[in-house]
Amino acid sequence: MSGSRTLISKGASSPAAEPLTPAEVSALVDDRPHDGAFRVHRAAFSDPRVFELEMRHIFESGWVFLGLASQLPNPHDYLTTTVGRQPVVVMRDGEGRLNAFLNSCRHKGAIICPLVSGNRKLHVCHYHGWSYDSAGRNRAIKGRAEGAYPPAFDKDSHDLAALPLFADYRGLLFGSLSADAGSLDDHLGDARKLIDLAVDQSEEGLELVPGSVSYTFEANWKLQLENCSDAYHFTSTHPSYLRVLDRRVQSEQSSGAIRSVWESNRPFAPGADGVTNGTFSFANGHVLNWYISPPSDAHPLFEKLDALTARVGEARRDWMFNTRNLTLFPNVQLAENASSQLRIIRPLAPDRTEMLTYCMAPIGESADARRRRIRQYEDFFNPSGLATPDDTVLYENCQAAHQAPVGEWLQGYVRGETARSDAPNVLTEELGITPSSSVLGGPELCDETVFHTYYRTWRDRLVRGLERSSAV
Amino acid sequence: MSALTSTDAADLLFLEAQLLDERRWDDWLDLFTEDAVFWAPAWKNEDEPTSSPDTELSLIYLQGRSNLADRVWRLRSGLSVASIPLHRTAHAITNVQMAGPAADSAATVKSSWTVNTFNPRRKAQHVFFGRYEHGLRREGDAWRIASKKILLLNDYIPTVVDFYML
Repeated sequence: MSGSRTLISKGASSPAAEPLTPAEVSALVDDRPHDGAFRVHRAAFSDPRVFELEMRHIFESGWVFLGLASQLPNPHDYLTTTVGRQPVVVMRDGEGRLNAFLNSCRHKGAIICPLVSGNRKLHVCHYHGWSYDSAGRNRAIKGRAEGAYPPAFDKDSHDLAALPLFADYRGLLFGSLSADAGSLDDHLGDARKLIDLAVDQSEEGLELVPGSVSYTFEANWKLQLENCSDAYHFTSTHPSYLRVLDRRVQSEQSSGAIRSVWESNRPFAPGADGVTNGTFSFANGHVLNWYISPPSDAHPLFEKLDALTARVGEARRDWMFNTRNLTLFPNVQLAENASSQLRIIRPLAPDRTEMLTYCMAPIGESADARRRRIRQYEDFFNPSGLATPDDTVLYENCQAAHQAPVGEWLQGYVRGETARSDAPNVLTEELGITPSSSVLGGPELCDETVFHTYYRTWRDRLVRGLERSSAV
Repeated sequence: MSALTSTDAADLLFLEAQLLDERRWDDWLDLFTEDAVFWAPAWKNEDEPTSSPDTELSLIYLQGRSNLADRVWRLRSGLSVASIPLHRTAHAITNVQMAGPAADSAATVKSSWTVNTFNPRRKAQHVFFGRYEHGLRREGDAWRIASKKILLLNDYIPTVVDFYML
């Protein structure tokens, strides 16, 4: 499959390494559906040439998540982020319209908005004083009249460079540095219905709890992509978390005990029968893994049980309580259990990734539910909590061997294969979705075929990008 | 009964730091009151830490010594890969000052801290630093920690931060 050329050569990180060909990139995913085979080569996680292609052809030329509209409620609010390696600013203009721009002055390129967020009618570059309004229009060029500019100067626009594509799905903002990425609706497809499950928990929509947490890990970004959709790791990676929950229940702590849906509802308890969990895979790399989590009073939504039933119906209400991990390829994950996390993945290097994480919450929940949501969030999701550090340390333990020239094919992609189906089922029908593939199973099935769409999308984007750039 | 002096306060803070660095977890837990609050705020932006734990996110917010005991249990359980091996730590506390006049039974103490950490797994070192605010309370003859607020100034976390690194 991988041919005679060694993909991870000792020279792979040197600038002189030959660029990868489309065939070599394609060969990093051993995808043979008729043989029931799916393997990923370790070089996909470690070769700097692969990383460069990911930046160019995935992060810097397709839809990526930028933030939530509710982070910019007022005219002239702004928020800074990155798209791939490029600094970006999202602004709400005086009329309330949102736009996204390269966060860079047209004059010498200096960052225009150096802070993470704020509110400004006028952004003045600190370097030479060019200024822009909140709609990105150039408002002044310092000393213009005396500047002896030639007429050709005004043949270029002096406005901030807008992202070629920018769109909003139900308050989730996405942008693309390439105009050639299709519509956001086409990109998201039926994953939109799963976004709806997060947004519709309140009639007023979704907000971020004030405060964010950033951390890094010394491993490839796709390990994060996988781990969120990986039911298989839970019991073996997080036994200390599960045991702490037991301790809390046993000690019947009165004040201050942090509750979790897992205290009464173990996702992978042996002996449960019937369908309890599964996965949905969609085109363009989006996936959901889920397991049934009946409404429990440990869940912050419980107070809204009756109102939710009346507003969204029993089926969608139950889906809102179910544990759901939604990945919108390539850079955002909405993880909902007893609490709810919005994670933004930012690859920094083949072996280094930054995470920006928030607690997301339905607007208007009670003070008690909000407090409980935040406590559960800190307990489980934070890099200072009881679960996430055990994940990220394991990513690093994986990355440590991802340059190895032996045992180069990873085997974590076929569990669930014989349970996989392309056909609709009762659950896809109640959700109104048509995933490209789904797996329904018992508590210990823990499907891994859900990763296929990540790597097929990944491979196709890189190969297409390489072919286009060589055609130019 | 006399009010806590700043020397007494500093001694208690230094003892706490030493117990953490020497991994004398049970002795460390004994320094806290039953209802102790252990709080490390998150940040809202470059300048403002979160200040309201019930409506804003924290890095850690634990109410009650038993929740701290759970964290200690996890470290010793052998079930948390992030805690195998533990990072080595050296706490250093300076600028210890009483915040306001101390009462006979309660006092607030502010200080600055650095924790040098070494991660034997990756042969990597890191320095966390920030400011503490300890709320101390007299219980019988002993002064105990009723609240510990940890303002972590470099909140860009290299993979993991645990209570004992703060």
